[in-house]
Amino acid sequence: MLTYITRRFLQGIAVLLAVSMICFFIFQFMGDPVITMAGRYATFQEQEEVRQAFGLDKPIHERYVLFIWNAVQGNFGKSYVSRVPALGLILERFPATFELAVCAACIAFGVGLGLGVLVSLKPYALRNRFIMALSLGGISMPTFLTGILLIMIFSVFWPLLPSFGRGETVQLGFWRTGMLTIDGLKHLILPALTLASYQLAVLLRLTRAGMREVLTQEYIKTAWAKGLPPRVVVLKHALRNVMIPVVTITGLQFGELLAFSIVTETIYQWPGMGNLLLTSIYENDQPVIVTYIMLAAVIIITLNMVVDILYALLNPKIRYD
Amino acid sequence: MKKTLTVVLAVAVLLWAGSAWAQKTLVVAQDEAPRMMNPHGDDSDAGLQYFANFFDGLLERKGPEGVLSPALAVKWERVDELNWKFWLRKGVKFHNGNPFTAEDVKFTFERLSDPNVSEMVNTGKSIDSITIHDDYTITIKTKKPVPWFVNNLHQIFIMDKEDTTTRDPGDVMVRPIGTGAYKLVEWVKGSYVKMEANEDYWEGAPPIKNVEIRPISESSTRFAALVSGQVAMLTGVPVELHDQISKNPQLEIVSKPARRSIFLALGNAPGTPMADIRVRQAIYMAIDEDEIIAKVMRGLASPAAQIPDPPTIGHNPDLKRLPYDPQKAKELLKAAGYENGFAITLAGPNDRYIQDAKIAEAVAKYLAKVGIQVTLDVKPKSIFFPEVNEGKLEFYLIGWFDGTFDMGRTYAKLAHTRDRERGFGELNGANYSDPEIDALIESANVMLDYNERAKALQELNRMAMVDKIVWIPLHYQMDVYAVRKDGKLNFQPRPDRWMIYKELSFK
Repeated sequence: MLTYITRRFLQGIAVLLAVSMICFFIFQFMGDPVITMAGRYATFQEQEEVRQAFGLDKPIHERYVLFIWNAVQGNFGKSYVSRVPALGLILERFPATFELAVCAACIAFGVGLGLGVLVSLKPYALRNRFIMALSLGGISMPTFLTGILLIMIFSVFWPLLPSFGRGETVQLGFWRTGMLTIDGLKHLILPALTLASYQLAVLLRLTRAGMREVLTQEYIKTAWAKGLPPRVVVLKHALRNVMIPVVTITGLQFGELLAFSIVTETIYQWPGMGNLLLTSIYENDQPVIVTYIMLAAVIIITLNMVVDILYALLNPKIRYD
Repeated sequence: MKKTLTVVLAVAVLLWAGSAWAQKTLVVAQDEAPRMMNPHGDDSDAGLQYFANFFDGLLERKGPEGVLSPALAVKWERVDELNWKFWLRKGVKFHNGNPFTAEDVKFTFERLSDPNVSEMVNTGKSIDSITIHDDYTITIKTKKPVPWFVNNLHQIFIMDKEDTTTRDPGDVMVRPIGTGAYKLVEWVKGSYVKMEANEDYWEGAPPIKNVEIRPISESSTRFAALVSGQVAMLTGVPVELHDQISKNPQLEIVSKPARRSIFLALGNAPGTPMADIRVRQAIYMAIDEDEIIAKVMRGLASPAAQIPDPPTIGHNPDLKRLPYDPQKAKELLKAAGYENGFAITLAGPNDRYIQDAKIAEAVAKYLAKVGIQVTLDVKPKSIFFPEVNEGKLEFYLIGWFDGTFDMGRTYAKLAHTRDRERGFGELNGANYSDPEIDALIESANVMLDYNERAKALQELNRMAMVDKIVWIPLHYQMDVYAVRKDGKLNFQPRPDRWMIYKELSFK
């Protein structure tokens, strides 16, 4: 196990280096940030001075090595646009994204699993066919469309829920939470549903498929024959065996919810990291972009690793060595 | 029983207080978010309009015409070519209680040349020295004659020296301490900016006591926020939502011709078709600007015959657009020896101006009709503008207005031959070069007398638009706002599109 973890750890570092290198490579084609940093009316000479002040006159490989050297020490550089440390700028937005992702994951897991089980019991019932058709919509409909439709229905035609922002928030130490106020929770519903819609559909279909397979197995027939109540047969004997792939997918996708909620955050003006990334790309704020991408990579690598390790712990038959 | 009563009372008081706050708070959805609260670190109008609520300049722009008026300076004088003298307002206090004096002015102007905190390096570096006569008189000397120096002072915001030098630099970036009409209550990045009236403001406290700005960049979300009543007004109504808003009986559209003009810039390198004035006229006459305004801009623009707008020094009221006449354009091309047309690349941004990429597309189609084959090359502004700066283009779409209301600076930057040493033509992206234009720009920019200079700039403008066709003007944009009628708001748009909340009030 230890060798496995070490190997994964080293792989992770290699991935991070590769990701940051690709970022730096792409930056060369993203336009020169100095033009905006020096101001609209700067002369060529003034632009050069700004370039030197920010070390942008050095060749790209030197800048890359310097970036890695500073990053190892926890310094990811300052944003070109707001002139404050890039990492701080992103971490400040982390609570909003995290709360949104957790809520979305909970909705997806709870509703997806519940409906999946329900549907698997009577696959040909009209209601269940309808649910399956909807789930297909959830998978194929792009997030921005889901989001705009939900806003149209629930805040414009039928003004029940707010259409943008986080609402009232409470500051707890470094963490600004929107989950402690009713207003904050109301603001969370639509974006969380939007973000969850794809995952929910995936989990629903996964659970249904797994359940249908398991329900035909001999031991389930035995359980029914023993006269066990349906609740015990379904939840204890059948569902347990379906859980492993479902939990894996939920875990793996959580990282994606966290890192790539960009579209949802933009539609709902959610003050999270995805929203910041998009603005930074528009403004060519390279330090923020590269820091965000490395942070996203760290989150996804870590989650993958944790899922793999948990997997081994849950099912002792699995060995990685 | 008594306890219950107390609780009920307390709740009632809280509810009442809450509704009182709600009544007095103006909530506005703006299309652009602040990047920072350091007033020298962002020279875009999107940022300056936020700073202008928390800070004051020595001067300010007032009214629908943007008249230059006294603010922290009560009087100013151009002593000679280089020296500008200012008499400062007495008794003004910063939000932290510190008095405003000449030391703060000196500190502010010196801070401008530090690239770590300033995007206004150009203004900072144009200053030679600053002399304090006493606490309320100061002289600023520029290195070269800068005729528009005071015209720029409404966007140079004065900071408190003592506070800025002692506070943590990171905190200075996010918490503004100025002399402005509003104090910052809270800025949650990406969510909102809350501000409250500065009751000690030198001009008298502003009528609206609490303002909450919600920056929403996504236009459909901004629209939903207004329709559902979560905000009282929004800025930046997108062209495609204009019809929907004007049909809604609860909403009112407020629009104002914008200062920014959209135009095409073309190079004139010897040997290229565009070195021939007839080709430039042909391109001009081939474009049906009225149709662009009607179809692409949905009527939300007005045709332009020149780059500066009427309040700008150098605007020439006698200029007229060349008529739309594709037949004449073909004849001109034939006379110039390009009967079969030629190929050219039209560049432009696709995320900067209203409908920018669509305008470029329309231009390409008009030019195809007279035989000019246009390759379109539209791209994000972060890639496009550096290319302009490098002078790599031959033909491109761009928009401009001069924050100083003075065309001299713009001409030196956009039309003068590119000159690294002398600092001319940095944004002359197609390498346009004409010695007569250069000479006029240089002579106008050292003239002292306002009227003489205005005349020279008008002549320059005429020559550039008629004799040389340096640029092909298209239209002036329109700034469009939407206001909820039940919000009972008195709102008048400004020429610079800034949202200055001390100018607003409830009916």
